Amino acid sequence: MNRMIMVVALVLICRVQVEAQNLKFGEISQQELLEKEYEHDKGAHAVILYKNRDTYLQSSGGTNHLITEVHERIKIYDQLGFDYATKEINLFKQRHDDEMVRSIKAVTYNLENDKIVKDELRKDEIFKTEASYNYNQVKFTLPNVKEGSVIEYSYKIVSPFIWNIDEFRFQYDIPVKKLRAEIRTPKGFRFKQTPKGYYAVFPKTTTKRDNRIGMDVVINTYNLEQMPALKAENYVDNIDNYRSGVIFELVSIELPGFHRSYSRSWSDVAKTIGNSDDYKNKLDKTRSFDDEIDSLIAKHSTKMDKMNSIFKFVKDEITWNGMDGKYFFNGLKKTLKEKKGNAADINLLLVAMLRYAGIDANPVIISTKDNLVPLFPTIDRLNYVLAYATVDEKQYFMDATEEFSDLNVLPIKDYNWKGILIDNNDMVWKQIDVASPGVSSNFYALDVDLNEDGTCEGSCKTRFDKHSAYRFRKTYKEKELESYLTEKEKSLSNIEIDDYRVEKADTFKGSVSESFNFYDDYGADVIDDKLYIKPLGFLCLDENPFKSETREYPVDFGYPFKDVYMVNIEIPEGYKVDFIPAPTVMNMPDKVGAFKYIVAQNGDKINVRVNFEINRAMVPADTYPLLREFFKQVIAKEEEQLVLSKI
Amino acid sequence: MHVRLISLKEMEINYERTVSVLNENGNVNANLFVGYNNSIQVKAVSAEIYNKSGELIKKIKKKDFLDVSAVDGGTLYSDSRVLYTGYLPVEYPYTVKFSYQLKTNNTGTVPSWSFIDNFLVSTEVSKYSIEYLDPSLKPIILEKNLEDFPIVKKSLENGVSYQAKNIAAFKDESLRPSEHKIFPQLVVSPVNFYYEGYSANIKNWKDLGNWMNSNLLKDQDRLDPATVSNIKKLVQGLDDDLQIAKKIYEYVQQNTRYISVQIGIGGLKPISAIEVDRLKYGDCKGLANYTKALLNAVGVQSYYVHVEAGSDKVDFEPEVASLNQGNHVILAVPYEGEYFWIDCTSQVHPFGFLGDFTDDRKVLIMKSDGGEIAHTASYINEENLQRTTGYFELDEEGGFDGNVQIETKGIQYDQHFWLQRGTKTEIEKYYKNYWSNIDNLFIEQFEFNNDKEDVVFNENVSIKSAKYAIKSDNRLVFVANAFNNPQQVPRRYRNRKFPLEVSRGYLDEDEFRIIIPNNYGIESLPDSAHLETKFGSYSISFESKDDGILVKRRILIEKGTYPNSDYSSYRSFRRNISKLDNSKIVIIKKS
Repeated sequence: MNRMIMVVALVLICRVQVEAQNLKFGEISQQELLEKEYEHDKGAHAVILYKNRDTYLQSSGGTNHLITEVHERIKIYDQLGFDYATKEINLFKQRHDDEMVRSIKAVTYNLENDKIVKDELRKDEIFKTEASYNYNQVKFTLPNVKEGSVIEYSYKIVSPFIWNIDEFRFQYDIPVKKLRAEIRTPKGFRFKQTPKGYYAVFPKTTTKRDNRIGMDVVINTYNLEQMPALKAENYVDNIDNYRSGVIFELVSIELPGFHRSYSRSWSDVAKTIGNSDDYKNKLDKTRSFDDEIDSLIAKHSTKMDKMNSIFKFVKDEITWNGMDGKYFFNGLKKTLKEKKGNAADINLLLVAMLRYAGIDANPVIISTKDNLVPLFPTIDRLNYVLAYATVDEKQYFMDATEEFSDLNVLPIKDYNWKGILIDNNDMVWKQIDVASPGVSSNFYALDVDLNEDGTCEGSCKTRFDKHSAYRFRKTYKEKELESYLTEKEKSLSNIEIDDYRVEKADTFKGSVSESFNFYDDYGADVIDDKLYIKPLGFLCLDENPFKSETREYPVDFGYPFKDVYMVNIEIPEGYKVDFIPAPTVMNMPDKVGAFKYIVAQNGDKINVRVNFEINRAMVPADTYPLLREFFKQVIAKEEEQLVLSKI
Repeated sequence: MHVRLISLKEMEINYERTVSVLNENGNVNANLFVGYNNSIQVKAVSAEIYNKSGELIKKIKKKDFLDVSAVDGGTLYSDSRVLYTGYLPVEYPYTVKFSYQLKTNNTGTVPSWSFIDNFLVSTEVSKYSIEYLDPSLKPIILEKNLEDFPIVKKSLENGVSYQAKNIAAFKDESLRPSEHKIFPQLVVSPVNFYYEGYSANIKNWKDLGNWMNSNLLKDQDRLDPATVSNIKKLVQGLDDDLQIAKKIYEYVQQNTRYISVQIGIGGLKPISAIEVDRLKYGDCKGLANYTKALLNAVGVQSYYVHVEAGSDKVDFEPEVASLNQGNHVILAVPYEGEYFWIDCTSQVHPFGFLGDFTDDRKVLIMKSDGGEIAHTASYINEENLQRTTGYFELDEEGGFDGNVQIETKGIQYDQHFWLQRGTKTEIEKYYKNYWSNIDNLFIEQFEFNNDKEDVVFNENVSIKSAKYAIKSDNRLVFVANAFNNPQQVPRRYRNRKFPLEVSRGYLDEDEFRIIIPNNYGIESLPDSAHLETKFGSYSISFESKDDGILVKRRILIEKGTYPNSDYSSYRSFRRNISKLDNSKIVIIKKS
């Protein structure tokens, strides 16, 4: 899936840049108060009329602070927009450094008898809470908010964390009418700025002398108008990938007599991470693992077997604490002692153990799906590490945090993007592709005894491999058997399930299979002396998951799959076949999806064979109409009924 | 739990809990947290973890607990905090021993006790004891649902203790009565107590109402003279108290919103009407008190009401008065011998209509001469009406064009009337889900009418489907009931434990026409059917008429509680309905 190309293509759609002047606080027009709806999005509950953000460095008394000034004006159209009258500001803290918010000013404007009436926020209506160990929260809500009100507030955040410039966001879940953002950085400090999202916005750049810090500064100004709301949809990998904005990262400092580069190319990024203590010194130093590792290594002769047994050992022994991480949380020693750790603890331990066993293993740093797709060489945006090994010239990716993952079957969240290989020993630091998920094969076999009253009974056998198996095992383990079966019955058109058996559900290797007997009250429709039955019975796909007519974001299936259905229906005695649906073959362009459907009579049996394939994990938005149509036609075909009648 | 009432202004709570967690799904029941606020101090808290052989593997001290604010989405500020620790187990089973000690001056809210923690949790021992150092501190204890459980009660010198032993875990089931009706519990009510600066002597609800009136509600309903004259102007010309109350409720709905700020006594005391008038927001207490003040200013009486809100109907205990019953405040407006109930936190509900949040339950109303238990309005059976009418016209490809009108009343109104405030996308999504039985549905147009006076909501929707009927050869086969076919079959339980409860009941009446293509004739119509059970009744009929078919359907599900053994017959009733709702019509091309 070549997502980078897609994103680049979208960047071409630019918003119109306009020269805007700063709006003054309090200059509200009657027009703004009278407005009943937003002309470009009539359903909007509220609109950001104007937002201004200024970010710059300030020196005072020898210390530097990053200052962010925000001024925002919001029109509230109806009661569902009232939530936007409450503002939450999160302020980070670390040991002795905390961010502070200053000069909060907030006013509500209403029109009463053709006059603009102002209600100001009072100091005692601002609440500060120590929300958790690493952040405080300041909250306020505006007084006298009604349908039609305009609210306005401004504040200033003073941050000691001068290198952490928050992402500039240009798109919100309500539309933006006008937005201006400016960032001033000292000339020698090079910040890489990368636009993201569907609507790319580029800055106007100028340079001038800033007397407050006694340096030349680079000023980047963003002006935009009419940014639509960010709309959530189903089957999206991570909506924030599509939110319009700009990301900043310090790449180098170039001052007279001082030169330092932080990260520029992916191999620079890899080298920087590789040079950190966790990667440089820890991975090869730990020479004394549990004796168990020695015996595991001794027990197996091939590298492949050694790798498999070490992978299993780490998975069995070490519990994931649910945290991402590219650096240690516990460190190898503590991880082994306490038997738990974050992603880096676990997967770097795996790398260390594999190396100890003589296997060519290295860490690969990635950004997971719940994180953002990194659009440029960056350290900050990477949040996770995998183990990577080469055995007999074949490449294997491993993530030992989850119980049911396997070699090259990683948790779906890991397939977000490429990875950064850190091979300090061979001095290789570069970007590599993470092997994309292989096609999962799913097999369903159904034997159906059809009765004259339309009820059916029979047996069902299924088999899943790779990611389908991973998903099956996870779901199976999450619930106790009875609730699991109750849900299964419900999802399979309310059949009744008996003699339920699974095989290999508690291991992570190979395929998993299940079998059960069923009774189906709704097997066939009895109409006069005829029986109408869907050839796939309760396995028929009956609802199009793609309900909306258009779509802005790609569809994320997680992994490609091939379903094969084999159904045998026994014709009840005294009945003959009246109608058999015609065979069909459908292929989407570029083999995105394929469907093959054959029903045939064979003596007193009906044989059904259906293949259904989705060959891409991610389907781009411009293919959506075709995909939706494909599902529509598959459903129409699967819903066709075969007709039997009494002789 | 051991509660010590040391003096009128001193209560100590000692809590200890040992839980063995057998597998991953049990981790949520380790419950390693304790809540507190400015009036409750956590004197001690600690946890110990043991492995399966009973060895101590980890000790968690007070300083290792995380201290975070416990504020939910609708709250702007609250001093509620929670101390918690997450323990990540590395093997199962493991055992946690958790204990804490709390101290507070507020003796007015003694914790209640539930002997069963949760579904799928067995109880080996559950013990509650309360001790009072002075006889005047002796509380009233209400025992709920203890009969069927092995619970032993013992009198102590200055107190009482309860102990339950060996209660096997229960599995949760749908359509069961609420936990309040099935699980053993103690509701503890102090008689003489102290609460946030106020002392009290409360023997019954009348006393509690008087105490509220003379302490927490007193003077909170004053208003600025300017506001009073404005509100008088607003209702000028109206002379009927009910019309005036309606007008004022609408004014509050249009001019205020729900925002909660809880500081100290804020848990029970409303912020003053003057404050709400200035800010135009408040929590349930503040908005109810403000509305009451406005009504008062124009001479209309109303009562402040404590209620336990939620779709489960939970009653106030008529015999046991205590401050910790209830979680919400509404108003009761008396008019010609009857109460009209209003929830001032809702900006959309019609006057006098509560919906399923506070309906049909015992509540406490604060009258000027004290508290009184009353019952809120109920919506039962036929009162929860949905009437669906319309038609659809099939084409030869199996698609259709149609129009549907849905009229709802009672609780069904409550479930539908939000639509008028939805955006186009939300509404279309709703209908595509509502009619998920219709493939490739397209919503052409919709129109709503919300009659707040009679509490009736009307939807008029034009829809289209590119493919509804299935083609078989030269026939078209389709489900006759296109417009109200939810296919609700309750889950199957191999061994049903709890009674079956239908808490409100409803009636659906449907009538629509199906028009078939000119060159087609009806090959087969399903038989009409009628089902009559103790749970309700169902009938459906199909009649060939002019150029089409007339379908009539009626389903009445009645409120009631039935023994567990009835569950399977209720399920088969619903299965039969769902089967009949799937009855198909076959039409065939004329040759």
